[in-house]
Amino acid sequence: MPSMSASQKSAVHAAVLLLGVLVLNLTTVQAPAQPKVEFEQYTLSNGMMVLLHEDHSTPVTAAVVIYHVGSKNEKPQRTGFAHLFEHMMFQGSEHVGDEQHFKLLQEIGANINGSTSSDRTNYFEVVPSNYLELALWLESDRMGFLLPAMTQKKLDNQRDVVKNERRQRVDNQPYGTAGEKIDKALYPEGHPYSWPVIGYMEDLSAASLDDVKEFFRLYYAPNNAVLSIAGDINPKQTKEWVQKYFGDVPKGKEIERPGVQLVTLKESKRMMFEDKVQLPRLYITWPSAQRNTRDDAVLDVLTDILSSGKNSRLYKSLVYEQQISQNLFAYQNGSEIAGEMGIVATAKPGKTLTEIESAVEAELARLLKEGVTKKEIQTSLNNKESSLINSRATVLGKANSLATYYALTGDPNNINTEFDRFKGITPKEVLAVATKYLTKANVVLSVVPEGKPELAAANPNEKETHK
Amino acid sequence: MKPNYLLAVSGIIGALLMAGQTHGQSTLDRGKQPPGQPVPTVKLPAIQKFTLPNGLKVLLVENHELPLVAFNLVVNAGTEFDPLDQPGLSSMTADMMDEGTKSRTALQIADEIDFIGASMDVRATTDGTFASLNTLTKHTDAALNVFADVLLHPTFPQAEFDRIKNQRLTSILQQKDQPGTIASNAFSYVVYGPQHPYGINSSGTESSISNLTRESLVSFYESHYLPTNATMVVVGDVSLASVTPKLEKAFSSWKKGETRAASFPPTPSVDRRRVYMIDKPGAAQSEIRIGYPALARNTEDFQTVNLMNRVLGGQFSSRLNISLREKHGYTYGARSSFSFNKKPGPFIANAAVTTAKTDSSILEFLSEIDLMHNEGVTADELAFVKKGLTGNFALSFETPSQVANALRNLVLYDLPDDYYQTYLQAIDKVTLDEVKGAAKKYLDSSKMAVVFVGDLSVVRESVEKMNFGETVLCDTDGKKINP
Repeated sequence: MPSMSASQKSAVHAAVLLLGVLVLNLTTVQAPAQPKVEFEQYTLSNGMMVLLHEDHSTPVTAAVVIYHVGSKNEKPQRTGFAHLFEHMMFQGSEHVGDEQHFKLLQEIGANINGSTSSDRTNYFEVVPSNYLELALWLESDRMGFLLPAMTQKKLDNQRDVVKNERRQRVDNQPYGTAGEKIDKALYPEGHPYSWPVIGYMEDLSAASLDDVKEFFRLYYAPNNAVLSIAGDINPKQTKEWVQKYFGDVPKGKEIERPGVQLVTLKESKRMMFEDKVQLPRLYITWPSAQRNTRDDAVLDVLTDILSSGKNSRLYKSLVYEQQISQNLFAYQNGSEIAGEMGIVATAKPGKTLTEIESAVEAELARLLKEGVTKKEIQTSLNNKESSLINSRATVLGKANSLATYYALTGDPNNINTEFDRFKGITPKEVLAVATKYLTKANVVLSVVPEGKPELAAANPNEKETHK
Repeated sequence: MKPNYLLAVSGIIGALLMAGQTHGQSTLDRGKQPPGQPVPTVKLPAIQKFTLPNGLKVLLVENHELPLVAFNLVVNAGTEFDPLDQPGLSSMTADMMDEGTKSRTALQIADEIDFIGASMDVRATTDGTFASLNTLTKHTDAALNVFADVLLHPTFPQAEFDRIKNQRLTSILQQKDQPGTIASNAFSYVVYGPQHPYGINSSGTESSISNLTRESLVSFYESHYLPTNATMVVVGDVSLASVTPKLEKAFSSWKKGETRAASFPPTPSVDRRRVYMIDKPGAAQSEIRIGYPALARNTEDFQTVNLMNRVLGGQFSSRLNISLREKHGYTYGARSSFSFNKKPGPFIANAAVTTAKTDSSILEFLSEIDLMHNEGVTADELAFVKKGLTGNFALSFETPSQVANALRNLVLYDLPDDYYQTYLQAIDKVTLDEVKGAAKKYLDSSKMAVVFVGDLSVVRESVEKMNFGETVLCDTDGKKINP
């Protein structure tokens, strides 16, 4: 992004002056209150972490299993495999017949699903609390005894299902492939975040039964898993069941994991892509901080200041006042080994992405010059406090948070300290972090309606047409 | 990963406990499915009711688990009230509610709500408009103050109206990007037609939105947003004693007025099956919708049809999904639903299927619907879905928003006070013959519309060869294109 390397010192100075003028009833920015989640944790002899949280407010229990494996553990020629594998986990195991996993759980009215990200794969069952043992039996059978039930036919069927998932979510969606084009440009070749979680069609076609076996043996071992149970439980009885069903699942090998690989771009990349869409959309993406870091938290606040609510900087300028954008949002996505921050804005009919980009740049330049206010920070933190308390409303939310913190940070108690990361954020720090990331080289992608390259942001050096 | 989590105190205690329990488990028979424990009691929310002097009814459920309060005003002002030549009136009125009051500008409203981390929304659906406010308990007074202002004193400023109108026109344009939305809108149009509120696009059309005036919104607001035409549902961390004066203070100045009912044309009937084809060149999939107008919420057969549909396409392990997804791999998911609206809403079976299997998928849908029509469900299937609905009921009152939804349904559909108390009995008493009768009566594929959006240059010929019915070429609104 050009012309944004304003001197940090003078920008901070300007921010301080500005704050002196705005007399707000805010002497310091208040860190949000943190409702405590009590839990117990222990490890089985095979290395599986177990987390238990009691909540008897309704007769509901959630069981979540997270395996610390995601698309970043894939081989480059097998993109999409972690997610395809997730599908195979619902196809029955040695003691659970084909189609039975779903049937047995739907018969008791359970809510169930699984999901795959770049970093982890989760599986959950929310059951009437009298059926926890059934859920544990099912989870343990697919953790310990999946392969005897695996067949080529099941793999071929789920490969078709996943290809249709890709068509439905990516290929048949407007702007559907923008995300994977950005990641391919943002991360160097071979970086584990350079390919999409859903995978490429040709790699899905290539996945074999041997791949399934190898992946299972390495990553679906108890020492790579955490079982988190929250809800209407009897802890003593629950521990007995956990031991009974998971205790004899054999430990697997040590797993080599990709370490933190933050990214910097030597120079900005400007790309254009023609798609079957009505309106052009601009994506500006910067490499940023990985999850659970202070910078991740500060960028999170910064993106709220940019696009959360009518009074946020970008929304107010582009959508509310100038009305050149139909909608926009900014996000910070801190993952395990890298992060990205982005701004996405859709133009109104008749507007070009060059106009959008100039307006975004003007707001960012103003922010980098003048800084942000305490009130803006406080608004962001107050919203985070609300979201946090709301996320405690379900036993699934609590079980999944505990398991995720364990899997991705090693400490489930981060559920109770996550807001420490936001403590003491000042306008000065937001400005410093904004300057640190937003003045660096980035990826600018214009997605424009077919046949209208003139709507793209100026000077794209890479072009592609929808096939 | 750092290993120091093992040092956490609770972790060590847990690990020691477990060490003593590792014996004797080699005899575990994994082939034996564990039975359930005794069924837990579902605590139903205790509903407290009162009415403000101006006629506003209030339903309250206390829930002190978390410091949160949700206020949901259910207004009898749904899109069903849209005049046939003014689709979008109800939803545009809803969208404009937080755009300015006598004492606050649009930006001030947003600022006050955002600053306390609350959320506020006014949204029109077919059967009602819902104004919702979610806040932390400690900010209840500040949040309620803005909420009441927005509901009682909106001014519909012209400049904001012009902006919201432009946004709506743009989003109508963007609907053309979404094959699923095109298919659903076209389906509604072909089965209900332009003379029925369910047949017109509730977001409005380019011309209806362009022609809307600020005055028509004011008039819609004045005749529908009335205390006697609304019910306030409150769920959360407040007591009857604490919330009553707050509501009285906030809403007592809201004046009564005369309410009106929606005038509804009769539900159109379909004489025979037709196939409506909408072209989306280059589409990676075909979006399919099959169905027709079916049942209203007040049907006596509600639970019977609900159970039947759960077998057909109402959950993952339903016949449609097992066939189209798990057996054939044509789709990521196939399902069916009955929309039990105030007036008879549609039955729709739907999926996004791979382009090359469009014809086979339609055939499979119709075969499954016909099989259900002819033979109904088996005793095992009925037992299976009864048990599932019963178990799922226990999961339905966990969060304040779930409870608020349950209360909203009581209000919208005028259900008896003991509806949830008798819910499980109502399911239990449905018989196999009743389900078979309902399938015969309500699933007649020979009269259903088959709508699909896909790449016609690839699929048209193969679909026409199947002779599912007369084929009609349509535009993205579902209107017939004359050749």
